[in-house]
Amino acid sequence: MEPLSSLAAEYKSGSPILLEKIKVLDEQYAAIRRTRGDGNCFFRSFMFSYLEHIMECQDQAEVDRIQPNVEKSRKALQTLGYADLTFEDFFALFLEQLECVIQGKETSISHEELVIRSRDQSISDYVVMFFRFVTSAEIQMRTEFFEPFILGLTNTTVEQFCKLSVEPMGEESDHVHITALSDALGVPIRVVYLDRSSCDTGGVSVNHHDFMPVAGDLPSASCSSVKNFPFITLLYRPGHYDILYPK
Amino acid sequence: MSTPARKRLMRDFKRLQQDPPAGISGAPQDNNIMLWNAVIFGPDDTPWDGGTFKLTLQFTEDYPNKPPTVRFVSRMFHPNIYADGSICLDILQNQWSPIYDVAAILTSIQSLLCDPNASSPANSEAARMFSENKREYNRRVREIVEQSWTAD
Repeated sequence: MEPLSSLAAEYKSGSPILLEKIKVLDEQYAAIRRTRGDGNCFFRSFMFSYLEHIMECQDQAEVDRIQPNVEKSRKALQTLGYADLTFEDFFALFLEQLECVIQGKETSISHEELVIRSRDQSISDYVVMFFRFVTSAEIQMRTEFFEPFILGLTNTTVEQFCKLSVEPMGEESDHVHITALSDALGVPIRVVYLDRSSCDTGGVSVNHHDFMPVAGDLPSASCSSVKNFPFITLLYRPGHYDILYPK
Repeated sequence: MSTPARKRLMRDFKRLQQDPPAGISGAPQDNNIMLWNAVIFGPDDTPWDGGTFKLTLQFTEDYPNKPPTVRFVSRMFHPNIYADGSICLDILQNQWSPIYDVAAILTSIQSLLCDPNASSPANSEAARMFSENKREYNRRVREIVEQSWTAD
């Protein structure tokens, strides 16, 4: 984790618009956590941010809330004709991590261990793959909804898109992936955009977009008093996602 | 020693035994679950009909997050198969995903036999012949099929 000033340092001699925007970010956000830039950064950022939230809030309610959604994804994959053996390990490993971040159990882990696991490819990559499966299942179960977005991105069928751009490791995520994962798990995600775009109305502002799941059972974000407020905030710079920490 | 890769390979093997797709077979070598021998039979009613093509699949502990190295042991003549037997197939390289198990890998290679991908030639002579002289191409394939019976 680094203070937000490290972001400003990166752009010291860069575009004035970006520096202005970082100043705005600095008012709202305390820190940034950088994620490996290997094409899995959205999923890996989401993984860490989500598990860290449950750990910090000891949010057992969220663990209980998400589990039926995970089972729904499992059933969806079976319905879509995926063989259990191809995805069950990834599901098991994610559910295991979910248990570990709740304290007071034999399997409980520390925050330090969570950081270590998120860097350990044998764990981290499995969780990333779990999210890729969940995302792919959600897109394919709601083909009519996602089709127009996918046609806007590539010239492929929904099924092809999942095979080429969702399921393989290292394939970058777009708003289609984020929408699908947020909907499937019922977890709201805020994405803050740091790019050169500017509005002429004077005064620099930083755009963000909240991905709000369509499902009714939203998490209560128990650390904050605001209901349905995204507890996952990611910073998007063209081609990459990192984690932001609000003040 | 049981690692996630080995456990997964045991399940791949079980599935291949219980529900084998038509025209393929495969099994780990004795005492080494990470190295498999496989056979792909040439699809019926194609020039490949009757061929029995041997392959090896070498897995690492990164499986199923990384694909195995798959290689034909039998001599091949095909636009997407290199002289050393290695295969140019998207799912074995950048389009790999853990959704593919051994059965799916072998099935994909089997369909590649009759459906070469002209845009990524690994054997330029075969690729050229496939697009320019199908008759001669088919004759060369028949030769390979016959050789597959006698090679050890």
